[in-house]
Amino acid sequence: MSQLVSSITREWRFMLRQKYILVLLLCTLIVTSFSIFSGIKEVSQQHQTIERLKQADLKDRSEAQAKYDDVGSLAYYSFHLSYSAPSNLAFAALGERDVYPWKHRIRMLALEGQIYESDAQNAELAQAGKIDFVFIISALSPLIIILLFHDLFANERNSGRHDLLVSTSISSFSLWGARSIVRFLALYFCLMLPFYIGATISSVSVTMVVAISAIVLVYMLLWTLLSIWWAQKQNTAPRIASSLIGIWVLFAFIIPILGDLAINHSVHSPKGGDIVLTQREAVNDGWDLPKETTLKAFVETHPQYKDNLQFKNTWAWNWYYAFQQVGDQTAAELSQAYRDASQRKYELAGWPRQMPSPLLSMNNKSATFTKRFGCFITPSCLETSSLKNRL
Amino acid sequence: MTNSSTQTVLNAQSLTLKINQQTILNKLTFSVQKGEIYALLGGNGAGKSSTLKTFLGFNKPTDGKVEVLGQSLDNSLALLRSKMAYLPESATLYPHLSARENIHYFLSLASIKKSDAEVNDAFKRVALQESAWERHMQTYSKGMRQKTAIALALLRQAPIFLLDEPTSGLDPIAIDEFNLLVRELANSGASILMVTHDVYGACQVADRIGLLRSGELVGEFSAPTNGRIDTEQVHTAFAQKESA
Repeated sequence: MSQLVSSITREWRFMLRQKYILVLLLCTLIVTSFSIFSGIKEVSQQHQTIERLKQADLKDRSEAQAKYDDVGSLAYYSFHLSYSAPSNLAFAALGERDVYPWKHRIRMLALEGQIYESDAQNAELAQAGKIDFVFIISALSPLIIILLFHDLFANERNSGRHDLLVSTSISSFSLWGARSIVRFLALYFCLMLPFYIGATISSVSVTMVVAISAIVLVYMLLWTLLSIWWAQKQNTAPRIASSLIGIWVLFAFIIPILGDLAINHSVHSPKGGDIVLTQREAVNDGWDLPKETTLKAFVETHPQYKDNLQFKNTWAWNWYYAFQQVGDQTAAELSQAYRDASQRKYELAGWPRQMPSPLLSMNNKSATFTKRFGCFITPSCLETSSLKNRL
Repeated sequence: MTNSSTQTVLNAQSLTLKINQQTILNKLTFSVQKGEIYALLGGNGAGKSSTLKTFLGFNKPTDGKVEVLGQSLDNSLALLRSKMAYLPESATLYPHLSARENIHYFLSLASIKKSDAEVNDAFKRVALQESAWERHMQTYSKGMRQKTAIALALLRQAPIFLLDEPTSGLDPIAIDEFNLLVRELANSGASILMVTHDVYGACQVADRIGLLRSGELVGEFSAPTNGRIDTEQVHTAFAQKESA
């Protein structure tokens, strides 16, 4: 044990004298800190936005309730805030919250026409994506590991020190093992320290922190062992680095992109625009159709309202909402197909998403998002709302 | 050889080494006794460095055997390596460290602790100028790097020294000093196997010389009691064999 401590101490001191490693570790620490800082800032802004919207929503609704006393007008002029609040861990994995809407202000009609709106505030930023902690771990950390370990042996061989080092060292582990452990731990520290600070600020549970630490540890170990194993096999540092980077490109880009293409090719999904168009056409047609036709279609799916659909005037809110709902019903099949396709894509992406695939994970997250977001605004949810009951 | 004991320290028996189907060493047989300075002499590609690396366990013999202190390397490589101080041909230590830092780092690898005073003594023994001790080695000449590596080998206090072209890069005065140092080590019981292509240098210092050509031992010369190996005789044999 004392021998291990002695070897680790020696290699730690040795590493502190290697400027290029220190610069690399410092850059890693800065980039990781930036990702955590920007994540916390973004999450904080989202929380503030939600709080602001909740206040505004309450005010709007109070105003509408004060202004209109009939249920139809009240429903028409009232908006309902729908949002997905960031979790405690969102600072580390912002995902597609900058691309897909996480807040919606909806009216209780033409729902299918409102779901597929996007509130991306900066299209260019959304395209580039966020440099969040997950991106750094999944995409950048393998590169940093490759940079740290590719020349572990080759540098010593090319400098003519390898044989002297090996013949002098009391064991292979005392030299290469200790050197690798020190570099690995230093990198792990630079990657995880900002995360631990962020997790403390965001009140993430200890269990979750331990789980994430373990996942990152295993992931980094895999890349480290691969890099060391390959570095032992080859002689020259450029050859080792280029082949390892090739493997990284394969896992980080080629497999995810091909996987994404294959999944999109095999699972056919209607476009959100098609659903909106179908719904809008059905609603527009509703104005021209005889009221009986609309009401019949509505009662088929909502028999509980059959006694509430008698009216004398040419204009009635009941009829208006009914043909809006029938519009949604017309698009329901497409909408369901969209959800089923998203779910299918999510399931198909099961095994490749275990890989370091930031691009493929977008697909998964979007499916998850649609699934989660959908529950806020599907008609079945609204059916339980108090406004619906007042109709 | 000044030591009268005949304990075999390094032993190669019908040592054959093939790398990528190419024969590097062919049935090489020789031994080094305790307190002896043995020089393996040969031209480029004769297999000199490969022989050293085989004793260090970097090359695995295709056939035959090598023994260090009567033991096979297969059994206790780490232990036997700790008994051998190796001086590579181009002793490039870490350029971003000073000579002293390099020495402490390498000694730490071998789990050897030496005080600064002991390191200073070693530097003085190899005639490394004091002003250079704390300087980064990137400013060193080849000779100074060689001296630092020799100091490291001395500080390891190993019973066996494997020296690969040890005087390469040294000036004539430093070579004389080095030869005296090697003789001193042998007199204190250390065994030295050095490989070189310097006929004159080998004759100056060695107790025995093995002439190596294309991986085969083609001649062996011993120094007479209290005398040196005849340079002329070795040079003639070396030149004949090289031109053959």
